[in-house]
Amino acid sequence: MKDVMTQTIDFTLNGKAVSAEIQGHWTLVDLLQQGFDLYGARQSCGQGLCGCCTVVLNGKPVSGCLFLAALADGATIETIENNEETLDPVQEAFIEAGAFQCGFCTPGFVLMTRQLIAEIPEPSEEEIRLYLTGNLCRCGTYPQIIEAVQKAAARMRAA
Amino acid sequence: MNAFELALPDTLAGAVSLLDPEDPTIRVMSGGTALMLMMKTDVFHPTQLISLRRIEPGYSQMGLLPDGSFRIGAMSTLSDMEHDDALAGFAPVIRQTMKLLSNVRVRNVATVGGALAHGDPHMDLPPVLVALDAQVVTISPEGERTIPVAELHAGYYETILSGNELIKEVIIPPQHARRASYLKCTTRAVKDWPALGVALTTDLDGDTARDTRLVIGAVGEKPIRVAEAEAVIDGQILSDKTIAEAADAAAESVETIEDELGSAAYKTQLVRVYVKRALQQVANQNA
Repeated sequence: MKDVMTQTIDFTLNGKAVSAEIQGHWTLVDLLQQGFDLYGARQSCGQGLCGCCTVVLNGKPVSGCLFLAALADGATIETIENNEETLDPVQEAFIEAGAFQCGFCTPGFVLMTRQLIAEIPEPSEEEIRLYLTGNLCRCGTYPQIIEAVQKAAARMRAA
Repeated sequence: MNAFELALPDTLAGAVSLLDPEDPTIRVMSGGTALMLMMKTDVFHPTQLISLRRIEPGYSQMGLLPDGSFRIGAMSTLSDMEHDDALAGFAPVIRQTMKLLSNVRVRNVATVGGALAHGDPHMDLPPVLVALDAQVVTISPEGERTIPVAELHAGYYETILSGNELIKEVIIPPQHARRASYLKCTTRAVKDWPALGVALTTDLDGDTARDTRLVIGAVGEKPIRVAEAEAVIDGQILSDKTIAEAADAAAESVETIEDELGSAAYKTQLVRVYVKRALQQVANQNA
């Protein structure tokens, strides 16, 4: 880095209007970690393949490691820290099913599962596997994750 | 990543005016999923990035045109294309292709214009659009021009676009009762880059195939249209014998190149197997 260019962006983060001074090359992961001490979105593969950096941008999940922070000016961003006080049905179902071991991938899986159930309220196992192909769990808890997604979907349909 | 300037023009014409055909370090960024990978791995060091995120919203919309063709604005994301019901009715093969293309997050950001301009031979969409006989309309200081997608790619990560020419929209001609299929082979996981992609469209007049377009992706420097196999198919009923002959013709004529997803010999065998499967699939589709 020869010269560091900074700029200020304004956006909505987990329901609150915020602004941040960023460096031009920052990704959304850099923005959340360095600007706001939020570590739920974390870089793992750095290539958009693993889903650990999942962030919901303007209502759609994106890979935070492949998205420039500067382009989030004016955007609405939600992270796993959105509901710190309570657990939602997806988080409850992940805990009940034991759908994680180390937990590193879990924020990404939870955010993607919320979107999956919003799009497909009654997903089949195949639909779940296809929707979550871009999320990797290196502990291998996929059977429990599928169980958790189905459990959460059933509960949200009943609610 | 290195330090770069970021420009956010409000119009596509404005974006074109910022480009310098003599300076490849000034580049347009559409969704940016591919370009970010090149920047993060130090393959590409821009001095200036021109983001298209703020250009006119018309370039991220799509719909039927009065002449019956379908227009897709170049900034439409792959998710937009996947979820557009009119497009799914017009060319169902596009939604089928999207389901297995990379993953939801990439599809939410990557755009059709970027996928075409990037020129990566492993992308799924370019061979499908060649098989659908699509065209792109481009804009540059010299004005607009229309280019068949079949002629857009010049080689590995190369297009015939000049350094200050941008894709503004994709036009797919009416498909009428044409049947289409896209099959791919991934060697590690379903969302992986394909070791091979086969895109096929054909008219089945009665049982006789006409105007077949067979395009192979991910085995060479760019999508490859296989005239030798099309010639075997056109005018014939799609019998087991014709299908086997066409698959052999494709395997013999397509020059495959080894990459990290498979050797040249392996890819030749994939061509044979997957051309056969694609032809069987269209033969068995309900008209």
